[in-house]
Amino acid sequence: MTNHFPIFSKHTPLGQPLIYLDSAASTQKPQVVIDTITDFYTNEYASTGRGSYWPANAASAKYEQVRHQVASFLNAKSDREIVFTSGTTDAINKVARSFVYPTLSPGDCVVTTTMEHHSNYLPWQQICKEKKCELVVAPLNQNGILNTLALEAQLAKGAKFLALTAVSNVLGTQNDVTAIVSLAHQYDVPVLVDAAQAVAHYTIDVQAWDCDFLVFSGHKCYGSTGVGVLYGKTDYLAEMQPANYGGGMVQKVNTIDSSFRPIPHKHEAGTPNVAGVIGLGAALEFLQKKGLENVYEHEQALTVYALNQLAAMDSVTIYGSVEQRGPVISFNLDGVHPHDLSTFLNEQGICIRAGHHCAQPLMQWLDVAATARVSFGMYNTKVDIDQLVAGLKSAYQFFR
Amino acid sequence: MNERIKALYKTHIIEKAKDETHTGQLTDATHVIEAYNPLCGDQFTLYLKVEDDVVKELKFNGYGCSISKASTAVLAESILGKSLTDFGKVWSDFMEIVNENAKASPEQISNNEYLLAFAAAREFPERKTCATLSWEALAKALITH
Ligand SMILES: Cc1ncc(COP(=O)(O)O)c(C=O)c1O
Repeated sequence: MTNHFPIFSKHTPLGQPLIYLDSAASTQKPQVVIDTITDFYTNEYASTGRGSYWPANAASAKYEQVRHQVASFLNAKSDREIVFTSGTTDAINKVARSFVYPTLSPGDCVVTTTMEHHSNYLPWQQICKEKKCELVVAPLNQNGILNTLALEAQLAKGAKFLALTAVSNVLGTQNDVTAIVSLAHQYDVPVLVDAAQAVAHYTIDVQAWDCDFLVFSGHKCYGSTGVGVLYGKTDYLAEMQPANYGGGMVQKVNTIDSSFRPIPHKHEAGTPNVAGVIGLGAALEFLQKKGLENVYEHEQALTVYALNQLAAMDSVTIYGSVEQRGPVISFNLDGVHPHDLSTFLNEQGICIRAGHHCAQPLMQWLDVAATARVSFGMYNTKVDIDQLVAGLKSAYQFFR
Repeated sequence: MNERIKALYKTHIIEKAKDETHTGQLTDATHVIEAYNPLCGDQFTLYLKVEDDVVKELKFNGYGCSISKASTAVLAESILGKSLTDFGKVWSDFMEIVNENAKASPEQISNNEYLLAFAAAREFPERKTCATLSWEALAKALITH
C-alpha cells in the first residue's frame, strides 16, 4: 500500500524510513491525488463560475462532478445537500452561526459531549455565551463511551441542537451515531455529526444515520488541506442563512437588497478551493477503489494488534475502551512525558502525536495534562507497530 | 541511540528533571507566578520570596516534560540568593544559549554546565518553548510587577 504514497519512498532528514502514526491529524497523500491536482493546474486550470470559455467550463464541470461524487460517497439524497467548505472547522462554524444561533433564546441549551475536538466545542460554547444559553456537555461512562442515559435526560429537557463526533480523535471511541440521532429526533433535536475521524475509515451513510448535518475535512481522507464538506438536509440548508456573502452566490444584486442562488451555492461565497475539491474527488475515488470495507478491516486488525502489544507492556497506560474503537490509541508511558517520547521516537523516524489533541475537556475528564497518541491509515502495517513498541521500550530505559 | 538525543537529555536534563530540591510551595511568597504552555498543557507554579530585590526563597510545582521541568529546576538554582538585577544577566545568557539563531556559541556565552545543558535545544527548535517556559513567565511577571 505504501507504494501509492510517494512520501514513504523518501527518508527522514536523519536517514530513516518514515513510520507515520499520525493519520488522525492528517493523512499522507497518494500519488493519484497529487497528480490530479498538478494536472488540473498544469493542463486545464481556471476558476469555476460562469466563465463561458474553456478551461473555465471544464473546471466548473469537474467541480460539480465532485459534488455529485461526494453526495454518492455519503449516500446523500441529492447533490444540493453538499456544500464545499475549507474544512471541518469551517463547516461547524457555519452551522453554529447561521443555523443554530438565530434559533437560540436566553436560557436555551445546546448539547455536545466530553469527547469533542475543540472544533466541535468552541463554536457552540461561543454562540451559547453570546445568547446567554447553556452548553451542556454530555458525560462519558468510565470506559470512555458516551453515557446515553445522561444524554437523553438533557435532550428531554428541550435542547435546541446536538453536536456529536462520530469517532473521538483521542480515545478512538466510535459512537453509535444511528442510535444517538434517532434518540435526539425523538425529542425533535437536530444533530450535527463531526465525521472528521470517520471519513477515511468506514462507510458513512447519511440516510441510514439520518443526521441533519455532517461535516468532514479533505486532508483527513487522503485529499489536500483547505477543503472540506458540509452535508445538510435540503430543508435545513435552504432555511439556513449564508454565513458569508460575496461573489458566486448571488442571483441578483441591487443597492437595496439582493437575492441568492439556491442551495448549495448560496453557502459558497467567493472563489472556492477548486483544486482542493478536484483533489478531494481523486481521494474519494482512491478510497472507494481500495474499498472502505477492506480499509476498515485492515485498520481494525492493526488497532487490535497495537492494543494487544501495548497492553502487554506494564509501563503503558491505554485510555478509553477496547471495543468500538476507530484506529486511534491514546496512551502514556510511565515516567515519560509524551513530548519527550515524541522527540525520542522522532529520532527513529517514528511520528506520534503528543499533547492535548485539541480536546482539553476530555483531558480534564481523563485527568491528564497530555497523552501520546498513535493513529493509523491504510498504509500502516504491523511492522510499524513493532517498531513503535521497540521504540517505547528503549524510551522507557532511556528516561529512567 | 543517536548522539543528538543523548546530547539533549543525558548531559543534565534527565537528572535535573528528577531533582526535587526546589519542588514545593511557599505560603509567604511575595510572587506567585504561573507558567503555562497552552500548546502542550505544561504548567508550573513558581513561588518566590523576594526581599530587597533579592530572591530569598523559591519553590515550584507543576507538570511538564523533562526539558521544562529541568529548566525550571535550573532556573530555581540560578536565581536563589541573587538580586533580580544580577539575575538579568543569567536570564539573557540562558535565552542566548537556547537560541538557534544566536551568533555566539553556547560556550562563548556561559561556562555554567547546567545552563549549557540546554544548548542542545538549538538542535530541537520545536522544544525551545519547553526550555524557556518558566524563564519567560518569570521575566514577564517580574517586569509587570
Ligand atoms: C474529531 C475532529 N473534529 C474536527 C477536527 C478539525 O478538523 P480541521 O482542522 O480539518 O477543520 C479534527 C481535526 O483534528 C478532529 O479530529
